[in-house]
Amino acid sequence: MFYSTRSKLIASFLGVTLLVGAVSLLIGGQLLYKAVFSEATNRVRLDLNAAHEIYLNRIESIKTCLNITTLGFGFRSAVKEGDTRELFNRIRVLALNADLDFAGIVTAEGKTLCRLGPDSIHNNNSEPANPIGRLALEGPGSVAGTVILSKGMLVVEDPELADRASIQLVPTPRAAPRDEKVETSGMALAAAIPVFEEGKLIGAVYGGVLLNRSTNIVDTVRDTVFQQEIYKGRSIGTATIFQKDLRISTNVLTPDGKRAIGTRVSQEVKEYVLDRGELWTDRAFVVSDWYITAYEPIEDIFGARVGMLYVGVLEAKYADMRKKAFTILVLITIAGMTLAVGLGYVLADKIMSPVHRLIKASQQVSKGNLSPEIGPRSRDEIGVLQSTFEDMLVSLEERDRHRRAEAENRLLQSEKQASIGRLAAGVAHEINNPLTGVLTFTRILLRSQDIGEKNLSHLQKIAESTIRVKKIVKGLLDFSRQTELDREPTDINRLIHGVISAMENQALIKGVSMKFNSAENLPMLTLDRNQIQSVLINLIINALDAMGQGGTIAISTGISLSASDTGKKGVEIAVSDNGCGIPPEDLDKLFEPFFTTKEVGEGTGLGLAVSYGIVQRHGGTIRVQSEVGRGSTFTVWLPIEEQIEKDANSGS
Amino acid sequence: MRILVVDDDPTVLKSCQRVLEPEGFDVCLVSSADKALEAMRKDDFALLLIDVKMPTHDGIYLMREVRRQWPNKPMILMSGYDTTQTVEEAAEMGAATFVPKPFTPDELLQAIHTVMGRQEGHE
Repeated sequence: MFYSTRSKLIASFLGVTLLVGAVSLLIGGQLLYKAVFSEATNRVRLDLNAAHEIYLNRIESIKTCLNITTLGFGFRSAVKEGDTRELFNRIRVLALNADLDFAGIVTAEGKTLCRLGPDSIHNNNSEPANPIGRLALEGPGSVAGTVILSKGMLVVEDPELADRASIQLVPTPRAAPRDEKVETSGMALAAAIPVFEEGKLIGAVYGGVLLNRSTNIVDTVRDTVFQQEIYKGRSIGTATIFQKDLRISTNVLTPDGKRAIGTRVSQEVKEYVLDRGELWTDRAFVVSDWYITAYEPIEDIFGARVGMLYVGVLEAKYADMRKKAFTILVLITIAGMTLAVGLGYVLADKIMSPVHRLIKASQQVSKGNLSPEIGPRSRDEIGVLQSTFEDMLVSLEERDRHRRAEAENRLLQSEKQASIGRLAAGVAHEINNPLTGVLTFTRILLRSQDIGEKNLSHLQKIAESTIRVKKIVKGLLDFSRQTELDREPTDINRLIHGVISAMENQALIKGVSMKFNSAENLPMLTLDRNQIQSVLINLIINALDAMGQGGTIAISTGISLSASDTGKKGVEIAVSDNGCGIPPEDLDKLFEPFFTTKEVGEGTGLGLAVSYGIVQRHGGTIRVQSEVGRGSTFTVWLPIEEQIEKDANSGS
Repeated sequence: MRILVVDDDPTVLKSCQRVLEPEGFDVCLVSSADKALEAMRKDDFALLLIDVKMPTHDGIYLMREVRRQWPNKPMILMSGYDTTQTVEEAAEMGAATFVPKPFTPDELLQAIHTVMGRQEGHE
């Protein structure tokens, strides 16, 4: 069953489907995912640009607010006169409006006039002024950007800020190793505007926001860029501001749902973005999940890379899309396989059912039924097989009929022969007695002296005719006699040599030459020597009679296979003459008793019939080939083996 | 020398008589096996010429009877039925020789002389 055509067909269908399925799974799935992934990557890159804009906007807005403050009525005179109380009020309003974490005013000499925070108006000038303020005094104009503020500076501005900036480092897998346990400095967005009075620099106003633990920018990014898209209970989009590789402001959440402040970026990204200053867009492991991410470095106002801006979307959404596509492909493959099995089953049935019918038909044929049911004719190669099968049946039937007819014919023939035999025996007996009288009295008359010359010649005619009658009767008897074969091992070549030397004289008289081409190493045959000898003599006499002066009789021996019984080996004796030949219409009757082509009185018409019987009793055959005017060849074939078996059947 | 010829066909009997008498044989002709046995009881014959196929009792029967009652009596079988089987039976019965029918006067005399010559040599 496993090796049946059906299972082979199904297996090949399954194989093809599996192959196609697997290839489409691998290649299709991969291509699909790549397309989706590159789409997502492009989106994230755009999102990063948007985030970048929001970041810069914030800086710009701080700068604008500061500018507006410096342009306020009486502000410059207050700076010039050092009216700290007035200035403090203005700064407070500014900070309130612009949502600043720190702000202050420095004199042209770098002395802090006033600032936000608890120690707003102080006289201790030994404290360092805010670096961004100083930068505004030094430079040709206003400054704005990202700045790193040390713990000391933060404390001066406001101790609370220092507390906010201080971030405990959380151990993070994949992050680059770092020695310190705590980050104390802070990263801020700040701006400073120099203040001039009548072309003379009189001071500067500065202000900014501390990014550490602030949610403002990152949440704005999330809310505006990603529009609070939620996937499986989590925000798809996330944004983070890094101070170096440390998350200081983020909406990436830790597994327990808190903002992941204090965790760090993976070493790979840090090296790529922070150290080499390049843009990263790829999937990356963020805190506890895979994201499709984009990172860009943040430079401070001095041009140093101090941090990174990040946006990322959860890969899970795309991974799930991929999983879904994969599942659909698998389902399609399974459906295809089911279809393949079904199709294979049905097809195999369709293809094989006529074949099965043919198998059944041939089984019936082998049981003897020659007209089995083959079923409807197919229109394909099977149909050809079917018609060939039918043709074969027809020829089988024909052969069968032919054989039956042949057997009947043989039976008829042997019955005919037996009745001829009985008739011949009866006739011989009845004729022989009167013949004896005729012979006797003719001879007596011939001896008497008193008959005339004329009568003598008449009497001689009578005597000759009677001898002829005697010969005919003898031939009849020879033919009818079913003599037992007296077999003995015989060298057939030697037998033929003997026959030839016996016939040489007669041949010489007729002027015919005889040639014998004997094959070597012929096996010994067990034959009735006398009978086979008489067969050969008969054939040679016939050949002599068929030829005139100067003819040649060629006799040859050899080993050959039987013409009628396939595979049986035997010895062949061919007697050829180049005489008158036998007309085709006579060939059939050649072996019938009393058939002769010779002149009346020359032949009895029994020689070949008798020879035929002898060879047949030896289990052999006589064949004749002849062409009128060219000559005839009589071929006697005698079997090598199974002589004993044939002997047993020879009586039939 | 007396010869008994046994044949159911008068032509054969006549033929034998016409061939043998000129040769100096005393010929007695009978037409059946039974008549032959009767003649044998009355007369003494030097040789029997017997046909094989006869009605009632055939030549083989007659040979058997003669062999039983008169052993060593020379016999010649005549038959148009010269099958090997008949010849073998004849030899078995002690028939001296066999003459196939139809025979010429010379063939018959030849056979008789052969048998008688053998007989004389034997005695």
